[in-house]
Amino acid sequence: MREKSTIFAFLSVLAVVAFMAGCAGMTAKPTDKNFKAPGVTLSHMEVQSYWGWWFYDAKIEPTKGKAGANGSPLVLAFIFNVSNPNDFPVLMEKMQFTVGFEDFDINTQGSSEAMWIPAGKTNQVRVIAVQDPAVTSGSLMVASGDKVKASGKGPMDLIENWWTQIPDFTFPIYARNGSAIFKADGVVKSVPFSAKFP
Amino acid sequence: MDLKKKWFKFVAVIFIPALIFGISASALAAEVKVGALNDVTGATSDVGKDYALGIADAIRYVNDNGGINGKPIKLYQFDYGYRIPEALTKYKLFKRLGCVAVLGWGTGDTEALSPTVTQDKMPYVSASYSAHLTNPAKTPYNLFAATDYSTNARAAITAWYDTRWKKNPEFGKRKPKFVCSYHFAHPYCSAPIKAIKDQAELLGFEVGPDQNVSLVAIDTKSQVLAMKDYGADLVWHGNTTMSVSATVRDAFALGLKAEHIVNCWGFDENLVKLAGKAAEGVFGAPRCAFFGENVKNMDKVVEYAKKYNPGVPLENRTTHTVAAWANTLALWEAMKRADKAGDLTGEGILKKGFETIRDFDIGLGVQPLNYTSTDHRTAGKVSIYEIKNGKFQVVELVDLKSRWPEKWGKEWLGW
Repeated sequence: MREKSTIFAFLSVLAVVAFMAGCAGMTAKPTDKNFKAPGVTLSHMEVQSYWGWWFYDAKIEPTKGKAGANGSPLVLAFIFNVSNPNDFPVLMEKMQFTVGFEDFDINTQGSSEAMWIPAGKTNQVRVIAVQDPAVTSGSLMVASGDKVKASGKGPMDLIENWWTQIPDFTFPIYARNGSAIFKADGVVKSVPFSAKFP
Repeated sequence: MDLKKKWFKFVAVIFIPALIFGISASALAAEVKVGALNDVTGATSDVGKDYALGIADAIRYVNDNGGINGKPIKLYQFDYGYRIPEALTKYKLFKRLGCVAVLGWGTGDTEALSPTVTQDKMPYVSASYSAHLTNPAKTPYNLFAATDYSTNARAAITAWYDTRWKKNPEFGKRKPKFVCSYHFAHPYCSAPIKAIKDQAELLGFEVGPDQNVSLVAIDTKSQVLAMKDYGADLVWHGNTTMSVSATVRDAFALGLKAEHIVNCWGFDENLVKLAGKAAEGVFGAPRCAFFGENVKNMDKVVEYAKKYNPGVPLENRTTHTVAAWANTLALWEAMKRADKAGDLTGEGILKKGFETIRDFDIGLGVQPLNYTSTDHRTAGKVSIYEIKNGKFQVVELVDLKSRWPEKWGKEWLGW
C-alpha cells in the first residue's frame, strides 16, 4: 500500500512538473499584428566547388558519352542568416532570389526545404547555385541580349571572365528580387530581401 | 488497486482524446501531391521564372480555398534548367513521391515526356501549347488551359486580314505578301508554321520565303532585308521576346513596311519595354490576359503576387504568371471533379475531371475551357491583341470554329 502511494505521489509530481513546464513553454499566439518580419541577410558567399574554366562545343568528339556544348560548372553557395525576432517559432517555407553577376541576371535560385527558426534565434541557410557556361550563355542572350550587346563583349567572354575571376570575387554578385515566406500558426508573412557580395 | 484504476482513468482521459485528435488531424491533413517542372535557370528562364512564380502563387490560392475538396495540395516544384535529362530525372522523382499530376513547362520537357506520361497515365499540364498535343488519340495526358499555337496563329493572321488588309487600298487588287520569321530548329517556333501557312493560303495570301532567326539573335538585319526585298506586308514572329524585339526594331530601323503578328512567348510586357516605338501596332495572340488587366480573377493573381513575392516588383510580372494560374486553375477543377467521383488517379483526373469540363470559365482572359475524349482543343475563339500607345488592347475576337466549322471539326485537330 505504501509502495503504491509512493508511486502515485511520484507520478503526480511528474504530471505537475510536466504541466508547469508546458505552461512555461507557452508562447504568444501569432497574429497578423504581432508577427514581426523575420530578417534575411546574406552572411557570405563561397565557391562551393571549382572546376576552373573550359568549354567545348558539339563539334568536339568526347572520349566517352555524347558530344554537346559542355563546360565547367560553377558551383556557388549563398549563406544567409535568417533571424526570427518573434516570441514564437516561425517556419520558413521557401525562399528564392535572382542571381546576378554584375548587371546581368543569371538565374533564379532558392531553397524550398521547410525550416523552423526558434523564437529570438538566427539560423543559417546554404543555397547552392549551379551555373553552366552553355546554359548561362543561352539565358544571357535570351533575357539580356541588349545588355550583352551594349557591354561590347560576347556572352562567352563575359562568362570566361566570371568563371576565372570567381575565386577572388573580383566582381559583384547579387541576390536580387528575393522573397522568403514565413508561417506561424497559419499566419503568413513574406519578406523581401536583396544582397550584394562582396 | 483503486489508485491504480484512478491513475489509468487519468491517463485514459488525458491521452486517448489526444491520440484520437492527433490521428484525425493527420487524416484531415492528407495531401494531394502535384509536381511542377520549371525553368528558372536555363535558356527559357527569361519567361520561365515568371511562370514558375505563378504556379507557386496559384497553388497557394488553391490551398487557401479548400484544396482538392478539403485536401491541400503539396507542391513539389523543381527547376530543370531546360535540360531534358534533368526533366526526365525529376519526373521519376515525382512518381516516387506519389504525385498524381504534373504542371510541366516547355516544348522540350513536354515532348520528351509525352510517351512516358501517356504510358504512366499522368496528367501533364504544361505551357507548351503545341497543337500536336491536342489530339487525345495521340497524346491523351498532355493538356493546357489555353488555345494552342496553331489556333492562335490562324486567328492572328485572320484578325490582321479582317482589320488591316481589308482597309488597305491594295485590297482586292493583289494578294497580301506573308513571311514567317522564326528559329527553324526549335520545336516551339516551328510548331504552328504549317497551320499559319495553311491559313494564309485559305485567306488568299502569297507566302514568301521563311527567315531563320535564332532565339538568341540580337542582330537580324540580313533577315529583315530579305523580307524587304520580298515586299512583305505581314510577318509572323514565332520566337521569344528578345529576338522578336530585335527583329521588330531592325524592321523599324530599316524601313520595312510590313506589319507584325507574334506568337504568345514573344508577345508580352517586355516586348513593349524592349522594342519601344517599333512595337506600336504589333498584333499578337497572348493566350490569356496580361498581368493586371481588368478581367475576372486577375485581382487574385495580383493579390498573391504582392503577398508572396514582395521582392519582385509588380511591373516586372507578366502575362506568363497569368498563364501559369490558368493551367493551375484548370488542373484544380479537374482534380476536384475526379476526387468527387472518387477517382483521384491520373486516369480519373483525365476522364472524370478534364474530359467532363464544358465551357468552364476560369476568367483571366482565357476563353471558356472544353475538353472532350476526342478533342483537347480548349476553344475555337481567340482574342487577338494589338499594342497601342504602349498598351495591349483587344482588336478582334476571332471565332475560327464558327467561321470554318468543317475545317475546325474535320481538318485542323492536332497540327
